[in-house]
Amino acid sequence: MSVLRPLDQLPGLNTATVLLVSTEDALLQQLADSMLREDCPSQLMIHLARSLPLPSNVTRPRIDLVVFVVNLHNKYSLQNVQESLCHVDANFFLGKVCFLATGASQENQCSIHHNTILKLAHAYRSPLLFCDLTTKDFQFSVAQRLVRMLQVCAGHIPGVSSLNLLSLMKTSEIPSLEDL
Amino acid sequence: MEKPPEEEAASTREDIGGEGGQLQAAGAAEASEEDHTTLLLRLREQTKQQLLEYKSMVDANEEETPEEILQEEQIEAKIEGLENEIQDAKTAFEVKTLMLHRLKLSALLENNLENIDTKMSLFIDNMKHILKLNKSITASQQESWDLEEKLLAVRKKRLQLKQASASKLLEMQTERNKQKNILESMENSGMLKDVRQSLQKEIQITTVVQHVFQHTIPRAAWRLLLFCIFIHILTSFWGVKSTGQRFLP
Repeated sequence: MSVLRPLDQLPGLNTATVLLVSTEDALLQQLADSMLREDCPSQLMIHLARSLPLPSNVTRPRIDLVVFVVNLHNKYSLQNVQESLCHVDANFFLGKVCFLATGASQENQCSIHHNTILKLAHAYRSPLLFCDLTTKDFQFSVAQRLVRMLQVCAGHIPGVSSLNLLSLMKTSEIPSLEDL
Repeated sequence: MEKPPEEEAASTREDIGGEGGQLQAAGAAEASEEDHTTLLLRLREQTKQQLLEYKSMVDANEEETPEEILQEEQIEAKIEGLENEIQDAKTAFEVKTLMLHRLKLSALLENNLENIDTKMSLFIDNMKHILKLNKSITASQQESWDLEEKLLAVRKKRLQLKQASASKLLEMQTERNKQKNILESMENSGMLKDVRQSLQKEIQITTVVQHVFQHTIPRAAWRLLLFCIFIHILTSFWGVKSTGQRFLP
């Protein structure tokens, strides 16, 4: 029931741990599988959770990256993510949190507007990736990106820290977000 | 309700992660010794990076950013302001309670005064008596003042009389002195000397006449002559005296 804190434990040798949070179990499973298939020099640990906070009676390694997956076709997923965000320490938002909006290609089925999720990501100062996990190509590319980000967050890439990932927020396409 | 299955899911994925790690570990084991050295170097770099991250984290936690300091100052100022407000409220409350007590007491006093009329009459009688006494005191004081004024007037009169008597006495003394002076001047004047000289002459004349007659006239006739002379002397004396009286003022 405790708040999730970054760097609260010593890191495992050559291991990077990611926590995927979403109500979409099947999609998460597929994403985790594709991430594990990625070619990565370090050892990957993938934790899946439907919502936060995590139960405190289980020992788990240091979590380097938290990925909130929002299904744009499901309003409940957004609400669940919003509730879970309360149980994350503020220091996590220094580049160790990423939002993933899936189902972005089928805009006619979207029940959540793009702007709402953009505002959410902007409010929490975290990068947002639009994708569609149902298509395989998207899934691989997203898995690749997440693995790279995880390596950066776990400190496996020398000279680059998780704070550098905040540059992902700078997009030239939507300059009006700052005004929002 | 949802958490236990989630934890299960997490554990299964941990297994998956473990499998993936094992797979990659196997891949690493197949590599040659050079790969081992590169792996070690990479791990060194990793640990360095992680150490750097932890250091920066520790520094960030240790150093208080100016914003936090400002916030703390603001909080302290706010706390002071709130304490002052609490004190003000306390004092205001005390003052108000005191005012209420006063009001209650005044109301009670009014009620008591209205209820106890008999005692009030006693009080009024006492007050009236005191007023009467005061009036009599003032009247007697006025009387005493009047008497004192009279006394003063009498003393004044006495003083004036004294002064008058003194002046009269002075006049009398001057008069006496004048009379004395006149008498002295009278004694010193030549009239008395003349009278005495004439008397001496008369005495001598008589003695001479006596001697003459003693030798010439007998005894019987002597006596008669003596008698005549005596009468003559007497008459002359009387004449002198009457002239003296004439000169007296």
